[in-house]
Amino acid sequence: MKTDIAIKVDHVAKKYCKSLKRSMLYGVKDIGRNILGMSSHSNKLRSEEFWALDDISFKVKKGETLGIIGPNGAGKTTLLKLLNGIFWPDKGKITTDGKVGALIEVGAGFHPLLTGRENIYINAAILGMSKQEVEKRFDSIVEFADIGDFLDSPVKHYSSGMFVRLGFAVAVHCEPDILLVDEILSVGDIDFQSKCFKKMQEIVDRKVSIVFISHNSDAIRRICNQVIYIRQGKLIGYGKPEKMILKYQKDIFFNKNENLKDLNKISTKEIQRRGTNEARITKVDILDKDNKIKSMFKMGEKIVIQINYSASQRINRPIFLVGIKDSNGIYCIEADSEKDGFNLDFISGKGCVKIIFDNFNLASGGYVVNIKLRQKGAVGYMDIIKNEFHFYIESFHHMKGLFNIDRNWKKVI
Amino acid sequence: MSKNYITYEPDNSLKKGYLSLFREIFNELKNNRWLTYQLFKRDFLAVYKQSFVGVFWAFIIPIISVGTFIILNHSGIFSVGEIDVPYPLYAILGLAFWQLFSAGLISSSNCLVKAGSMITKINFSKKSLVIASAAQSIVSFLIQFILLLVLFAIYGVAPRITILLFPVFIVPIMLLTLGFGFILSLFNGVFRDVGNIISVIVTFLMFLTPVLYSKPKIGILASISKYNPLYYLISAPRELILMGTIPEWKGFLASCIFSGFIFIICLVCFHLTETRVAERI
Repeated sequence: MKTDIAIKVDHVAKKYCKSLKRSMLYGVKDIGRNILGMSSHSNKLRSEEFWALDDISFKVKKGETLGIIGPNGAGKTTLLKLLNGIFWPDKGKITTDGKVGALIEVGAGFHPLLTGRENIYINAAILGMSKQEVEKRFDSIVEFADIGDFLDSPVKHYSSGMFVRLGFAVAVHCEPDILLVDEILSVGDIDFQSKCFKKMQEIVDRKVSIVFISHNSDAIRRICNQVIYIRQGKLIGYGKPEKMILKYQKDIFFNKNENLKDLNKISTKEIQRRGTNEARITKVDILDKDNKIKSMFKMGEKIVIQINYSASQRINRPIFLVGIKDSNGIYCIEADSEKDGFNLDFISGKGCVKIIFDNFNLASGGYVVNIKLRQKGAVGYMDIIKNEFHFYIESFHHMKGLFNIDRNWKKVI
Repeated sequence: MSKNYITYEPDNSLKKGYLSLFREIFNELKNNRWLTYQLFKRDFLAVYKQSFVGVFWAFIIPIISVGTFIILNHSGIFSVGEIDVPYPLYAILGLAFWQLFSAGLISSSNCLVKAGSMITKINFSKKSLVIASAAQSIVSFLIQFILLLVLFAIYGVAPRITILLFPVFIVPIMLLTLGFGFILSLFNGVFRDVGNIISVIVTFLMFLTPVLYSKPKIGILASISKYNPLYYLISAPRELILMGTIPEWKGFLASCIFSGFIFIICLVCFHLTETRVAERI
């Protein structure tokens, strides 16, 4: 084995048991077999067991940062626990070279009744620091945690933010060669988050190998060299962060909307919704420049959303609202027909309006369309359709930011 | 290759062989001394911070149980047998050694379950955790020892000089406690029932072992005591302190060897299977 490799994971698998009673039984059986010096035959599945991780292989070089992405329940944390040696693999082999530190749950070893000061010592010992190391780094830990006078009060009186700060402060002062980080940077206030990030960046610069789980694609992009993408315990992709994140986001989108085309075609009659019944949206189509129904677009392409309606009576001054939300639920666009200067005097019977985006410049990702119909001066809406129509924007080069604005560069002097 | 080179694979220890196992265990215990001390301190502080009476608990419990026996003995329901020294002295001395075993076993067998999320979230030496919890019983032993010295003064009985040897005499009983503690903490991690059973069994064992009464000459209890290592491990130091000799030294020696074996076997078993428990807790 080459010495520049910090972590090597070789066809690793881990199984879990769905039933609690059986899991206890298997546990005793395995313990018994291990005691007697027999192999536990861990490579075979028994009834009600399943592979939580299956055939995972990757390498992390020294000083490299590996990101792990995937949906909830994909086995990300299990993988991290395997790397830390909390669990042992049932198949395959894991080799680590260097002192391993893990930030799987902050403050896991804290005792609520003891003071912050006492807990720092205990937690540091649990995390593998020696007495000299703790004494040397104690002041730095206290300074980083920034909990002031609370240092000498019992931890149970801490706010959850303070608790996390103290836990993180201890954990980052372990100075390991390999650092395993679970999704924990998303806690604490903004100020502390940026402090954590700065510390992480410092650790990255110190040439520590890092394995990093996060749902924050921006964080992954910023600090990872390589990313593995796992889903349902299987390794789906292994490569550059940009490519893997795109792949993951696309998968999330299409997983949620398996029959994307059919879905966008369904009759709006089937959708349960609110609204006074005076006018109804009967059909919504998302079209491209050739008036073809599509759900996959390139960034900057022309997109047309066509709304068919049916009004049971004459409706004066109708207003159409088209909202477009990204996968994080953030409203990117809300187009209001009245404010856009598209004023209809009245509608009655069946009809169709369309909104045209000549350059749809939102960044790559999945989007959902919300459509509302109301009458000027009325309080409620006549019809609301939310989260039913989806489309996806693809771009070949990564763009930071939410959208692309037309722009020019000029050399002035 | 650096010294931190670690490999994880199924049936890891089996592939390495039993000899390197002992070295591994020894190194682990040696490197984690400070951790063991910190865990011990944590348990100790937590217990004595939380209760108002604090250290007096260690006095109250033996006084109540010995008091019960005195009443039972006086009213003729139960006979404590022939004892040369004042009964409270005899009983409390016995109880102090007994609770090394009972309290140590109960706290160590529960320690993995109590640690819970710590075990599933951090990789640290679980042996340290078991040792630190078993050692809690030494604290109450030392507190009870003070009570004992007071009793010696009250009854005007002088302990033999051999009383100074007590740190040596708690070693075999602690080894036995730790041995059982290791194995039972594992099983308790998998089956919670084990924890409940242990406290019942420990009470049962106390009545089976001549702790609060003298060893009967005949009958079932006499023959059980003959093969009960706990009896020898408690009575030998007690007799040494009260009389300066160990009449049943052969039994004591055999019990010491037995304790040593139990300790080593259970420690190895624990080492081989400790990672299994993290998955099940």
